Amino acid sequence: MPIPRLLQQQNPDGGWPYRRGGSWTEPTVYAVLALAGAGDSAAVERGFQWIRRAQRDDGGWQVRPGVAESCWVTSLAALLPAERLGAERHRRATAWLSATTGMESTVLYRIRQWLLGSQTPPEMTAPGWPWVLGSAAFVSPTSLAILALDRENQLHPSPGLASRIDAGRRFLINRMCKGGGWNHGSTRALGYETGAYPETTGMALAALRGCQGRATDQSLAVALRFLGQCRSADALNWLRLGLAAHGRMPAGYTPPSGIAYRTVPEVATSVLADGSAAGKSAFWI
Amino acid sequence: MTRRDWLAGSAAAVVATGCARPVPLAQPETTIMRAPAYDQRLYDIVRRVVASHCVAVRGRSVVIKPNLVEFEPASAINTHPLLVHAACEAFRAMGASQVTIAEGPGNRRDTLDLAEAAGYFQTIPGFENCFVDLNVDEVTLVDLPQRFSKLKRVYLPNTVLGAALVVSMPKMKTHHWTGATLSMKNLFGVVPGGVYGWPKNVLHWAGIHESVADLHSVFPRQFTLVDGIVGMEGNGPIQGVPKPMGVLVAGTDPVAVDATCCRLMRIDPMRIGYLRLAAGEPAAFAESNVRQTGEPIAALAQPFALIPQFRSLRLESGA
Repeated sequence: MPIPRLLQQQNPDGGWPYRRGGSWTEPTVYAVLALAGAGDSAAVERGFQWIRRAQRDDGGWQVRPGVAESCWVTSLAALLPAERLGAERHRRATAWLSATTGMESTVLYRIRQWLLGSQTPPEMTAPGWPWVLGSAAFVSPTSLAILALDRENQLHPSPGLASRIDAGRRFLINRMCKGGGWNHGSTRALGYETGAYPETTGMALAALRGCQGRATDQSLAVALRFLGQCRSADALNWLRLGLAAHGRMPAGYTPPSGIAYRTVPEVATSVLADGSAAGKSAFWI
Repeated sequence: MTRRDWLAGSAAAVVATGCARPVPLAQPETTIMRAPAYDQRLYDIVRRVVASHCVAVRGRSVVIKPNLVEFEPASAINTHPLLVHAACEAFRAMGASQVTIAEGPGNRRDTLDLAEAAGYFQTIPGFENCFVDLNVDEVTLVDLPQRFSKLKRVYLPNTVLGAALVVSMPKMKTHHWTGATLSMKNLFGVVPGGVYGWPKNVLHWAGIHESVADLHSVFPRQFTLVDGIVGMEGNGPIQGVPKPMGVLVAGTDPVAVDATCCRLMRIDPMRIGYLRLAAGEPAAFAESNVRQTGEPIAALAQPFALIPQFRSLRLESGA
């Protein structure tokens, strides 16, 4: 019963916690997306009010009130329909995302690396998105930013957005683990190969919707293997979304019994994964 | 304010609040206990080692911070849940008003699923009710008492900030960025991923050794209990190889405990950057300046395999 559970967990301020306590942007956006898809209106509007209040002057969103810095959750807010969020708020969110990159792709960092004689290989310079400003780009925030910008680009095509989305996808392809799939974004550490995680593999595949090629094929195979093995709600939700983005969800699939949906994002993204399987996605048009 | 002034101030504050064993200013004590396996004997061993350090917790809240990293229960990545439960029981028996287990994993977001896969739900009765995911806890912006990195302040979880005693329970492991990961590096897990992301890359950009030393300065009131029953050697902290050591290492001074663990691993603690930074004075954790109780280091030390980049950390014979 995910929808009643989401309704029950809404805080008096209109936002949602991860499990309990104060409201955070991530669970609030996911809950709003899930409830909006289910047709609820009052709780959704209170959620939108919370989200609108949380936007910062620079156009981005903070992870929660009191943490005064715009960051990766701006991608989530930008996934919301502009007509509900507010066209100007949405435009500023898109602008904030378009202007944000990981530290490793900033001009200042590249000059520093050049001066130190340790240039980044060209194939690793495609700009992705960081969790927070002043740090490197990673797979999850990059995937979410691509999903948000791609949705906007489909509604209002723009060469600037298309170029940034393309670069973000190259970032993902370059950080795919050997054999397919993704972890947080580090494919090698001190010369050692690192393995893929199910949740980031699903998320990256969702961001690569419409992209074909060896990398995508390998990673879809990895995702299908993970789908049959893993027991984490977060991982299963994102695997379902990633596979659905490529039309590769096994027909008639249902998550194994006994999976614990413990957090609001887990409950909400399970609703969104169900929607994607039924051909109605909050993440893409 | 000098480090000594600050430590003296911290110590006075801790004593004033009734905790009998603040960060020691004199000779720190570490205890090495034999613990051959993850079995019922741990309950007695842990109770004795905690009691021997006179950690005053009666009527106070304790937060136990294990090292939970990956979904592989058969590996030596995570602090073993039976040891964590033994610590919970020991502190409860000593009258702690509340014992909370808290962790904020650095790479994986689904903390409770990770804990379940690591055996915590199965081993620790009522685990879900006594556990806090530090990645999404309520937070407070804290000025760093000492600044070794470029960070001036950091958001930290209220659960940990409000604890009368933080118990760091790391796994004894090599680490491919810092050489060794022990009680001090374990504090990376208190930095909230909900604020800084997964991984907490801001700390890497600020300097890993420097950030470890920064965090150490925030939590002077610690008890440390290192899971060295089966550690990890080689390409730790995730991809290394299990290293059966059969030891627990405990103490109230994280720098001294970590230095002792390094010696057990045959790693030179003087070459671990965060230890040098946090101690200020390398002599502070020289073997002769640490009061060693329980088993002698020499009786239990075994060289942990080191990846080529860290072979220079090897503790020379007799060093």
